[in-house]
Amino acid sequence: MEDAIQFEKMIKEFSGFKLGPLNFTLEPGKVLGYIGPNGSGKTTTMQCLTGLLRPESGYVKIFGEVNDPNETGWKSKIGYVGDKHVFYENWSCARNLKFVSQFYPSWSDKRAEDLIKRFDLDANKEVAKLSKGNRAKLSLIQALAHDPQLLILDEPMDGLDPVIRSEFTNVLFEVIENEERAIFYSTHITSEIGRLCDELAFLDNGSLKLKTEKETLLEKWRTISFQSTNHDLKLPGVVEQKVSGNEFIIKTQDFESTLTALRELSISDITETRLSIEDIAIHILKGGRNVESL
Amino acid sequence: MILNLTDLSDEPLQSQIIRQVRAKVLSGSLKAGDSLPSIRKLASSQKISVITVQRAYEALEREGLIHSRRGKGFFASGINSDTKKEMAELRIQEKIEPIIKNALAEGMSIKEIETLVKELLKSIEG
Repeated sequence: MEDAIQFEKMIKEFSGFKLGPLNFTLEPGKVLGYIGPNGSGKTTTMQCLTGLLRPESGYVKIFGEVNDPNETGWKSKIGYVGDKHVFYENWSCARNLKFVSQFYPSWSDKRAEDLIKRFDLDANKEVAKLSKGNRAKLSLIQALAHDPQLLILDEPMDGLDPVIRSEFTNVLFEVIENEERAIFYSTHITSEIGRLCDELAFLDNGSLKLKTEKETLLEKWRTISFQSTNHDLKLPGVVEQKVSGNEFIIKTQDFESTLTALRELSISDITETRLSIEDIAIHILKGGRNVESL
Repeated sequence: MILNLTDLSDEPLQSQIIRQVRAKVLSGSLKAGDSLPSIRKLASSQKISVITVQRAYEALEREGLIHSRRGKGFFASGINSDTKKEMAELRIQEKIEPIIKNALAEGMSIKEIETLVKELLKSIEG
């Protein structure tokens, strides 16, 4: 099966900012969390992905098709939710949905109605009178009613309350029950996608630092504490080290090799704990020393 | 199948799934041949990523507790009582070893630990 997304040597440049070259793929059936601080290039990536911006070089393919803005095939396969939620303000929700529906051959009114009911949204209400949460819900309904194979989400839950977040994520979990669908999810808040994502990609200042399976990342990163009278330790994988007397607390991005090295030094009395995705993200993005990049 | 998963534990979600499914198979609440939810179904119902469930199912398959049939999904395996006992022994060993090491590091002697464990067992039995 074709990759849902393929970035191939893609570069987008503005004055004073360069995104890329981006080289990565997202397979069908997976959720990729695209994590980076504000201003790292997440939204630019999204705009290149959805065809709103054209890259200076390289290309993006959606299910095998280059995302040429003049072609419509690939557009019918994607659903997009940004953080802005743009609608015709003085139209009702229903009228907005009706308007968008004409652009999608696969649009299902029933699917839209089901989601409206589920989200407890008043379809006759004017969009201008919706709360922020309900606007976000309407965006998601609009993005899902044509049953897209690829859902592109650009910080969709920014500023939403916990109840709406949870309703939102429930729908995303249902989307991914179908193994032919994929979700590309950008955010600066790592906790919100911790449980949803299969893979994580870290973006900093326009370049991709790392893309890996979530479980692999969680297995490899550890905090280890131990005692040693030798203060001149050269341990592989270590990204942070604190020493107090003979007490060491280190953070490693490669638990196996650090552990092997410790055993070779006959240091066997260790305690180790895992790191949260949030902790790991901070190290990767704000460059604790030695963090390997791809 | 209902699992009780939490983010407020040192135990990773993947291990929580493995431990709880293992307990269901070993206790017989999942019998040989019973079907398990598909990876995607379980991920969706428990609100965890597909990769987490996939890794957990793979580990359970390696342990011989579940098996997959192409196109049909995952099923609980039949476990004979010898294997069950072996697995229980392995499990208790894994748990006890670090506790004993910790007690030794805190200055207890082997003899003292032995006495303590014996008394504990007696009170549990009684």
